[in-house]
Amino acid sequence: MALFLIIIIPLIASVASFFVKKDMRVLSFIAVSASFLELTATLVTVASVMDSGLYRLNGYFFVDALGAVIIMLVAVVGAMASWYSTGYLKLEVAKRIIGFSRVRQYFILLHLFLLAMFFAVMSTSPILTWIAIEATTLSTAFLISFYNKPSAIEAAWKYLMINSVGLLLGFFGTFLFLYPSIHAGFPGLISWHDMLSHASALDPFIARMAFIFILIGYGTKVGLVPMHTWLPDAHSKAPAPISSLLSGVLLNVAFLALLRFKSVVDVAIGPYFSRELLVFFGVISISVAAFIIFSQKSYKRLLAYSSIEHMGIVALGFGFGGAGAFAALLHMIYHALTKSVLFLSAGNILVKYGSTKIRNVKGVLTVLPVTGILFFIGFLAITGVPPFGTFVTEFSILSAGIKTHPTTVIITLSVLALVFVGFLRHVVSITFGNSDIPMAKGESGLDTIVPIMLLAALLIIVSFFIPASMRSLLHSATINY
Amino acid sequence: MIPITPQILFFLETMLFASVVFMHIAKKNSGVIFLYAAQSLIIAIALFYSSLKEASLLLVVAAVATFLVKVIIVPYFFSGLIKKHRLQFSVSTYLNTPMTLIVLALLTAFSYSHFFGPLTILAPDKENALSLAIAMVLISIFLIINRKGALSQMVGILSLENAIVSFAYVAGLETTAGLQVGILFDIFIWVVIASVFASMIYRHFGSLNVSVLKHLKEE
Repeated sequence: MALFLIIIIPLIASVASFFVKKDMRVLSFIAVSASFLELTATLVTVASVMDSGLYRLNGYFFVDALGAVIIMLVAVVGAMASWYSTGYLKLEVAKRIIGFSRVRQYFILLHLFLLAMFFAVMSTSPILTWIAIEATTLSTAFLISFYNKPSAIEAAWKYLMINSVGLLLGFFGTFLFLYPSIHAGFPGLISWHDMLSHASALDPFIARMAFIFILIGYGTKVGLVPMHTWLPDAHSKAPAPISSLLSGVLLNVAFLALLRFKSVVDVAIGPYFSRELLVFFGVISISVAAFIIFSQKSYKRLLAYSSIEHMGIVALGFGFGGAGAFAALLHMIYHALTKSVLFLSAGNILVKYGSTKIRNVKGVLTVLPVTGILFFIGFLAITGVPPFGTFVTEFSILSAGIKTHPTTVIITLSVLALVFVGFLRHVVSITFGNSDIPMAKGESGLDTIVPIMLLAALLIIVSFFIPASMRSLLHSATINY
Repeated sequence: MIPITPQILFFLETMLFASVVFMHIAKKNSGVIFLYAAQSLIIAIALFYSSLKEASLLLVVAAVATFLVKVIIVPYFFSGLIKKHRLQFSVSTYLNTPMTLIVLALLTAFSYSHFFGPLTILAPDKENALSLAIAMVLISIFLIINRKGALSQMVGILSLENAIVSFAYVAGLETTAGLQVGILFDIFIWVVIASVFASMIYRHFGSLNVSVLKHLKEE
C-alpha cells in the first residue's frame, strides 16, 4: 500500500495542480501536503525494508535496502524543497519575476519530477528504470529554462541533448545486459533480479562492453567527468529548490541505476573491472572539479562543480569497495542533505542580492543572518571539516583505498585540500564583510528558512548519531559492493 | 511466412545505414526528415513482421504505435517546425562534406574492427548486419556532433534510437510489447519537448544554429 501511495500521490498532486485557478495558496497546500504524505509513506516503506529486507508491490515495484536509502533521500529532500518552493516562488511573484501560470507550471513539473525519481528507484525492470530516468530529464528541462532567459534556454537545451545521447548509450548497454535473460527464453518483463540470476551466462566481452556503455550513459546523468559538461549550467540556471533536487537527489538516483548494473557485471566477470573504472572516473571527476572550484566566479556554479566532486568521491568509494562502499553510501546521504542546505541558502541569497556572481555578494551574515549561518554550516560540511559526517566518510573512503590505490588516494587528498582552500576563499568573501550596496537586513520569511534549518539539523544529527537500524540498512545495501 | 534470412536482415540494415549516411549529406531539412521517416518505416515493418510471426496482438499494437509515432507524428511535428520558422535549408556542419565522408568511412571501418567484433557473438549468423547496426549507432552520434542545426541534432538523437532498436532486433533482443510502447511514449514526449525548445531557441536567438548559443560562455 505504501509503495502504491508513493507513486500515486505525486501523480494526483500534479494533476490537481493543473486544475488550480489563480490561487497560489492552493498550489502551495497541494505541494506541501503531497510531499509530506510521500515522506510518510516512504518512512513506512523504509521501516518495512528494515524489518523484512525487501518490500514489493505486484511484479512491477520493489524496494531493497539500497533503494530504501535512495527513496528516503528523494522523500526528505523532496519534502523540504517543496515546502521551500512555496515561499521562494511567493517572493518571486511579489518581485514580478514570474506570474501565476509559471508557478502552476513549476508545481506540475515538480510533482512529475518527484514521481519519475520514485519510479526509477522502485521499478523492478531495468528498462522501466531507464524510461523513468529519461522522464526526469524531460520533466526538469522546462524547470531549468524556467526563467526563460537566453542562458537558461541554452543550459536546458544542452541538458536535454547531452543527457538524451548519454541515456541512449545507457539504453544500448541495458540491451546488452538483457541478452542472457532473453536468450534463456525468459517471458515478460525482465527484472533486475532476473538479470542478476542470469549474469553468469554473460559473455565476458559483452559484460565489459555493456558496463562501459552503462557507465557512459548513467555516468552522464551522474555528472562524472568528462560527461559532466551539462551539469554546472543546468544546476546553476534552475530555480534554487530544483537545483537542490537535481544536485542532492537526482544524481544519486542515476548512481543507483549504475550500481544495480555493477552488481550484475561483478557476478559475470568479477568486481575488478567495474571497480577500476569507477576509481578512474572518480579521481578525474574530483580533480577537474577541484581546479574549477578554485577559480569559480558564480556561487551556484561553485555548488554545481562541488556536486561533480562529491559524485567522484562516491564513485571512488564504490570503486574501492568493502568499507569504502559503505562510506560511499553514507557520503551520498550527507552530500544530499548538505547540498540541499547550500542550494536552498543560495536561493535566499539570490533573491536578496539579485546576482549569482561571487564578487557582487558580500556580508551575507549581516544581511541574511540565519541564511548566512546555514550557508556557512553547509560550507563546513561540504568541504569535509570535522565533526561533520563528510569528514568521516571521506576519511573512510580514502582509508579503504590506501593499500590498493595509494597514488589515487594521495592525488585525491591533495585535490580535496585544494577544494577546501577554493571554497574557503569564496565563502569568506560571500559571508563576511559588508555589502557594497545598502540593503535591508533580515530574512524573507519562515517558509524559506525553516526547511533549510530542518535539513541542517538532520545533517548535524546524522553526522553524530546513526541509529543501529539505519546502520544495518546501509550495511545490507552495500554488502554486494 | 517468408523467413527473414541473414541476407534479408543485412539488406534491411544496409538501407538503415544508407539513410543515416544520406542524412549527413542532405542539405534540406525536409530531406533529413524524409530520411528519418523512411528509416522508421523499415523499423516499423520489421517489428510488424515479428508480431505476425509471434502471432501476438500486443506486438502488433506496438508495431502500429511505432509506425504512428515515428513515421507519421514525429515527421509531422518537424515539418511544422520547418514551416513555422521557414527553415528550408539545414545549417552548416563543422566538417565539410569530403571530411565528413572520410569520418563516416573510418567509423564504419571501426565498427567492423576487432574492437566491436566480439559483439557479433550475439548473433553469429548475422555478423554483417550487427556490424552495420553498430556503424549506424556511431554515425548517428557523429550526426549529432557534426551538425550545427538544432533540428538535425534532434533527428540525430532519434536516428541513434532507431540504430539501437535495429541492433536489438538483429541480435534478437526485442523487449515486450508493453515496454516498446513505454519507450515510444518517452520518445514522443521527448520530440514534443525538444520541438518546443527549438522554437524557444529560434525566438531568442533568431536561428536554429546551435553555434549561436554562447550566453553560457559569456557569463
